[in-house]
Amino acid sequence: MERLLALWIESLSVERPDGSTLRVTQALLDALTLLCPFTDAVRLGLFTFPLRAPSRFFGGDDVVLAMVRRSVEEVAGVEVLLGVGEGLFTAELAARHEVVLAAGESTRFRRAQPLEVLGRRDLTTTGHRLGLHTVGAFADLDAARVGERFDRDALIRQRVARGELSELEGQRDAHLGRRLAQLRGEDDDFDEQLGFFGQRGAGDLRADAAALRVRQRLGAEAVVVASLRGGRTPDERGALVPWGAPAHPRLEVAPWPGQLAAPSPATSLAQPLEVQLRDALGAPVTLNTRGLLSAPPATLAFSTTLRREVTWFAGPWPLVERWWALHRRRAHVQVVLRSGEAFLLSCEERRWWLVGIYD
Amino acid sequence: MARVTSARYSYERMFAFSSSRPPVPEKLAASLRPTSLAKARTLPLDEPWRALVPGGGLRRGSSVVVQAPAGLGGLSVGLSLLSEASTRGHWSAVVGVDDPGVVAMAELGVDLRRVLFVPRPRGAWAEATADLLDGVDLVVVRPPGRASGSVARRLSDRVRERGTVLIALSEPSAPWPIAPDLLFSVTQAEWTVSSRLDARYLTVHVSGRGEAARGERHVVVLPNRRGRAEAS
Repeated sequence: MERLLALWIESLSVERPDGSTLRVTQALLDALTLLCPFTDAVRLGLFTFPLRAPSRFFGGDDVVLAMVRRSVEEVAGVEVLLGVGEGLFTAELAARHEVVLAAGESTRFRRAQPLEVLGRRDLTTTGHRLGLHTVGAFADLDAARVGERFDRDALIRQRVARGELSELEGQRDAHLGRRLAQLRGEDDDFDEQLGFFGQRGAGDLRADAAALRVRQRLGAEAVVVASLRGGRTPDERGALVPWGAPAHPRLEVAPWPGQLAAPSPATSLAQPLEVQLRDALGAPVTLNTRGLLSAPPATLAFSTTLRREVTWFAGPWPLVERWWALHRRRAHVQVVLRSGEAFLLSCEERRWWLVGIYD
Repeated sequence: MARVTSARYSYERMFAFSSSRPPVPEKLAASLRPTSLAKARTLPLDEPWRALVPGGGLRRGSSVVVQAPAGLGGLSVGLSLLSEASTRGHWSAVVGVDDPGVVAMAELGVDLRRVLFVPRPRGAWAEATADLLDGVDLVVVRPPGRASGSVARRLSDRVRERGTVLIALSEPSAPWPIAPDLLFSVTQAEWTVSSRLDARYLTVHVSGRGEAARGERHVVVLPNRRGRAEAS
């Protein structure tokens, strides 16, 4: 996980009715972007940027921290808490405690935190009754036991506690980016689809009205529209955004070496499903460091009872992305089952995921 | 009891149509000609499908069912039926397909700018479909489980009234409860492979009402090496 510098500014975290909060947030974002172009306004009062590159460029963590402190002082004149940690969740905690965690210390720090930081009261209460007082103790529980007692959300929080996920759901304000864009005056209906002479036709208006009715019936996120963006795998290349949200129509011209070739799966799972791939002897198929499979896959198991025979496979196509930061290593494999179904599987960190179905 | 009546009330409202237009006298109606040409009353289809369907397109006001065993190309067929219409400027919607493969749709030739998705309509898939039938020209719907006969009938009435096209995706284990105007039934899927998945040969049985009633078996390549539909 990336080492992030987090800025926590208490006085900006609650929005004032006069709109000054957004203006100051925008001013701060502009100032910080000069230090690091990847600065992210996560939500009101919380900013982050990846520390590695700025730290090298300016000559060390302490220099960057001092520069950030100075520019916040100059631009906003408010008190700021700074912290460094790996992943957004740990980085925010580090900022609230004002600590700089060296690379590799984040796990120890996160595990020592009280259970309350995971932000669910029933989890905390139950945890305390069971004698689990820290994030680490909760992380060590068997996921299956947690799943029995709690819902999916608790399992996701446990993955955050373990460091498998970098941030809690709800830690990020999805609408802040758009609101800041509106403030800058840049948000002028990107998603507008213009007709032949630039105006919208009757068909477009009728479709808008229908989409609006479905939204009233099912909620704001119910209707989505799709677009293509750059990437190598089907799930990265296809974007689904709520209808009416500003989308930047960008013509994809950049080459993506290593992009998976057509045909693409008709179902591209937004949340991949973990599966087991085994060879003829029943041993798990693994990917070695040279990007080769340990043995040809023979069965695909969705659970202990649901397993299918693999009649053909192709790949693996290894992908090593952003080796300078995330260092994400994956490999994709296509399999065809005896029953005729075809799947796209992905292997990451010795686990197999179902990412696409050619249905 | 109260719940039942409120549900029925919402159904009635959902399928309500205005009867404010006065009926045309029978004698006069017999002498009238339609103002639109046959071409305008059908929605265009992509190349391989054109040859398989009477009239070469999807007749407005008709219900189409694509039936295929799970994982054997039913979704691809349904989405492929949208492609030509969407590139010609018709709006479409996809209801109840949880994780649509956006890239695959682009490869099929669907113009994504004119497709609305309702991926998880929860219990209200029929209401969402009915709403969308008012506003778009084609709706692809995958009901969760088995659709009830009354809902299917109301939807096809709505389709006829609005002059749109409904494409329902179903499986042989949970067939669409009423006879459609056009039925594409996928019976077999075979992949050809090289160093990767190359193409899939789908055996599709096309049947239906009217001219399509005789029923014919065809083989369609979907997807081919470029992800498109192609006649074999």
